[in-house]
Amino acid sequence: MTGQKNSSGIRFGIAFKLGVILATFGVLASGLTGYYSYTAGRDLLVKTAERDLLTSTHVVGRRLSIALGAVAKDALLLAAIPVTARIAVAPDDPSAAPRKTTLADDFSALLSVHPEYFQVRLISAGNNGMELVRVERDQSKLKRIVGADLQEKGHFPYVFQALRLASGHTYLSKITINHEWGAHSGLDKPTLQVATPVQTAVGRMRGLVVINIDLNGLFELLKADVPGDFRVFLTNEWGDFLVHPDASQTFGFDSGRRILVQDTFASVSEIIEGKTDSVVINAGASDRQPGESVTAFVKLAFGDANARRFVILGLSQPLQSVLHETRNLGINTLQMVLGFSILAILLSAIVSRAMTGPLNMMVQAANRFSDDHVTIALPLERKDELGQLARSLNDMQAQIKTHLSELYESKRDVDHLARHDALTGLANRLMFHDRLEHAIANSQRSGKKVALIYIDLDGFKEINDSGGHALGDKVLTAVSAQLKKSVREIDTVARLGGDEFIILIGAIDNPDQVGLIAQKLLEGFRVPMNIDGRSLPVGISIGISVFPRDGANATELLDKADLAMYRSKKQGGNTYHFYSADMTADASVR
Amino acid sequence: MRLIGATPVLLAVLALSLGAAAPAFAKETLRVLTWPGYADSDLVSIFEKQFDVSVEVSFVSSDDVLWQKMNANGGKDFDVFAANTAEMTRYIDHGLAQPLDVSKIPNTSRQLPRFRDLKSIPGIARDGKLYAIPYTYSEMGLIYDRKQFKVPPTSMAAMWDPRYKGKVLAYNGSNHNFSIAALLLGSKNPFQIDKRDFKPIVDRLIALRRNVLTFYSLPEESIELFRENSAALMFANYGTQQVEQLRKTGADIGYVIPEEGALAWLDCWALSRGARNKPLAEQWINFTLEKDVSNALTKRQGLANTVEAAKSSDDSGRLIWLQPVEDFNLRTALWDRIISGDRAEKF
Repeated sequence: MTGQKNSSGIRFGIAFKLGVILATFGVLASGLTGYYSYTAGRDLLVKTAERDLLTSTHVVGRRLSIALGAVAKDALLLAAIPVTARIAVAPDDPSAAPRKTTLADDFSALLSVHPEYFQVRLISAGNNGMELVRVERDQSKLKRIVGADLQEKGHFPYVFQALRLASGHTYLSKITINHEWGAHSGLDKPTLQVATPVQTAVGRMRGLVVINIDLNGLFELLKADVPGDFRVFLTNEWGDFLVHPDASQTFGFDSGRRILVQDTFASVSEIIEGKTDSVVINAGASDRQPGESVTAFVKLAFGDANARRFVILGLSQPLQSVLHETRNLGINTLQMVLGFSILAILLSAIVSRAMTGPLNMMVQAANRFSDDHVTIALPLERKDELGQLARSLNDMQAQIKTHLSELYESKRDVDHLARHDALTGLANRLMFHDRLEHAIANSQRSGKKVALIYIDLDGFKEINDSGGHALGDKVLTAVSAQLKKSVREIDTVARLGGDEFIILIGAIDNPDQVGLIAQKLLEGFRVPMNIDGRSLPVGISIGISVFPRDGANATELLDKADLAMYRSKKQGGNTYHFYSADMTADASVR
Repeated sequence: MRLIGATPVLLAVLALSLGAAAPAFAKETLRVLTWPGYADSDLVSIFEKQFDVSVEVSFVSSDDVLWQKMNANGGKDFDVFAANTAEMTRYIDHGLAQPLDVSKIPNTSRQLPRFRDLKSIPGIARDGKLYAIPYTYSEMGLIYDRKQFKVPPTSMAAMWDPRYKGKVLAYNGSNHNFSIAALLLGSKNPFQIDKRDFKPIVDRLIALRRNVLTFYSLPEESIELFRENSAALMFANYGTQQVEQLRKTGADIGYVIPEEGALAWLDCWALSRGARNKPLAEQWINFTLEKDVSNALTKRQGLANTVEAAKSSDDSGRLIWLQPVEDFNLRTALWDRIISGDRAEKF
């Protein structure tokens, strides 16, 4: 019962707690792992996207350089034609006119092959940069400009800068809006000029060949290789937008307001200030930027390397595709985390059960043991702490059992001692009284009679005196055995002390039966006793009282039996007497 | 939080210094339309605390945007705005600006003399009423290389000097170039060129084209061109801003206001016709003329203020405040042809 109370007093058992702790750890561990692998995976994806984008930007940049290099080759080719130099040396000579026509045809041929070229010109080094041969695109046609429509271009950087170059070198102008009147298709369009000097045999720079490029046309070509949802940016070295998905954001400086890349993408200023050659801007880096995207900007050397001029090319990739992958990653991670969490919960349930099963078994064992001293099976064979605990518990149980049985034994001894005579093993006075009371009570119910046979040894004092106490004790022991042998098993033989014995005969119908017993007792002592090889004559005197005839209670019966015995003793022993009333009278006389 | 303790004291001081004016502005909102750098947020918050009002600042990046915003709702969207003298005329013409009371803007008494003489500044007064208070300006002087000029140039004519052919940098802008050429040809009002007078001015500008190295557009571009080409002389369209930038690069340069005078733009504060609280708007103008506020403009933006004389220019030079020109489109069309390289006989 106690055990039951104990176990019901536990609200959350160790199995539950252990399970919860293990499950929590499991879920936490898988959750954290999932979270970190998600973040790491996301970062990795974004980083990869950033790196790819940067690579793409470099590739586009290289293509731009290659494209510009091709233009430069065209310019160099035109400058190297002998007729070009001849025109430049003597522009006003009559022979120059047909040469100019030839060169104009060459220019036209080039323009027709390259739709991204606006204009090809030969410009004089003298005469304030007078144009000598000029062919330009006008809508779909090619048009040669002649006479008074030719203009002075000496104040444009592409003229004075190209004239400073050595032969075989090219000048790349800044990218601007072309406001030069007369460049029909190119008027008010983003453009740049590629120019190279024309050298005569003497070595003087006499002119230059200039090719005007349509920037947008050039970028259309470059954009063909870039995925459709990518956005392309180009800025000059101060950050002014030259190419922008929103055309109205370009060439702000041309209309008096600056629209700078660093105002939208602050970190591009690091390129502008020369601190780095490329930056990658992650989503949200600019709050002004619509939608989330990754944008890479790279610095591109532009024109003559010595001039340290550059442009900044930018590619922007919408993050949606990257984020979509991230979302998938997130869902996968979540599924994995959930799966592992369930697994962790199951495992922890199993583990906690495996752990607490033996514990419960031992609790039950302890309970049963404390209740009923019953030992039940314990997980003794386990090789772990639980096995050790079980073995300890088992040892403890065994020890307790041993102690208990010892305790019972000594208690039995004590009980025996309290109710038996130590020397003879017969019942003592205490036990005799118990039995007598018991027999009287029985007799009153059954109507049968109870008799007391009081026995006193004759001549015991002499034996004791002559043979010593040891012999006396042996005699007493032998007498006891003789007495027990002479009565039924159910009759009680007791030693009242010294050499006095008494026998309780219960449930008799006729007191005469007791006389027969007394005679049988006397018969037994007729021959001397053989003790230690000595023949010792031991006689007995017997007095008998019968309930209810002679007394109403134990004390009276005993007194009456004593009186009757005294009568036998008085007559010389070895005889018996039933109590009779005259004995009481005698006794009162005594 | 620390300010809580200081606020009552501050308010008390203000109440004493401003009389009953301060409490009257409680919970008002002042709407300012101006240019970047003219109303920095830290200065605005000082004003807000002083007058216990909130200030909404809108920025514009060009004269056109300014005009659009002011014109959108008859000026009702803003209380105070900043425009240059050449632009003010059309705001007054269209009734978008309203006269202001100089006596309500006591800090005008701290302004340099040339800004106190409001009659000398064209475009800001009409019918005896004042419509704008000068705030910041930039004049277009001449930057010269001290090594190539033994004596500093005294006139814009130096740009035409054949000794400096290919060493001169001019600005790629029609308006100012026409005005300069007109000035050099002795025009009394370079902003109003008579149709008949255009031919000599065009010739003069073609001559300029043939003498210069090139024309620049952006200040950074001018600095780069000046240094890379060892230029001798440059028309400083961006004024002291270019001077500062060039000096930062270590160039040994001088800066002069030529004797015929330098063109200068002058941005002024004006009251919108739709101003809700005129006294508060005037307090704003007064606030921007505080020494610290005006100095901040100079320190942060490199722009000259009207309270302290600029270090890089001489105060004595004659400044010709920009005015609307007679025909902007004509000047532009002619200039486009000039810079494109058309020869004189084509005109």
